[in-house]
Amino acid sequence: MTTEAQAAPREYSWRMPANWWTRQRHYFLYILREFTALPMALWLIWLLYEIRRAGSGAAHYYPPRSGAFVAFSVVVLLFSLYHSYTFLKLAGVIIRIKVLDRPVPSRLIVFAMFGAWAAASAVVAFVLIWFAR
Amino acid sequence: MSDQAAARRRPALDHLVFWFLFSQGGVISALFLPVHVVVQGILGPLDIVPVADQHYDTWVRVLGNPLVKLYILVLVMFSFFHFAHRLRYLLVDFGVHAARSVPAQAVFYGGAVVVTLVTIWILLTTAPLGG
Repeated sequence: MTTEAQAAPREYSWRMPANWWTRQRHYFLYILREFTALPMALWLIWLLYEIRRAGSGAAHYYPPRSGAFVAFSVVVLLFSLYHSYTFLKLAGVIIRIKVLDRPVPSRLIVFAMFGAWAAASAVVAFVLIWFAR
Repeated sequence: MSDQAAARRRPALDHLVFWFLFSQGGVISALFLPVHVVVQGILGPLDIVPVADQHYDTWVRVLGNPLVKLYILVLVMFSFFHFAHRLRYLLVDFGVHAARSVPAQAVFYGGAVVVTLVTIWILLTTAPLGG
């Protein structure tokens, strides 16, 4: 047996090309869905900052009104709507419920999740607007 | 029963906890975040509707409600565990294999814990309960 044959085998680990997610629309939308977490996290950190600023007293509090903030919120809204749509739609695949020993159709589960989204949005909007008076 | 068989039968508690936090965070952020962005991020600043956070008095009154504090804590805590999981796997998908490591998990999920603790501190110190 030669020295070369006794040496440790070389490893040829296969790596995905860096741009794999741009090659198919489905891959791109998958990465987009995963990426939605970042803008939503940034917006929630801003909300915490906004809450913290209220602790500094009335003299130091100024409401967010800049055009840049509105533009940032519009971008975050697009990502958060995409997250909501994809995640709530997934409920029809993940959730398995039986009523009277019969499985609830996945379409009904998805419909219920989107109904819950509408109801939750209405309640939060009502509180934020009603208590502004 | 061998140790291996016992290990197989034992429920993967850590997986259960992380998947619970991930899925609940996904649902909570999907149900509640868009309306906050619309109302507080767009409609309020543009003066289309009056919003509580546009005035100090109304904002502090809302934040002083214990139910609102609890709601904000739940919204932030679960959402950030969801975000931590998704962003860690986003790095894995981009070929950053270190994102699978235990230190990376500590950074991402630990980050979610830190944000949760900061949120608790902010909520307890910002507006007095019942204010």
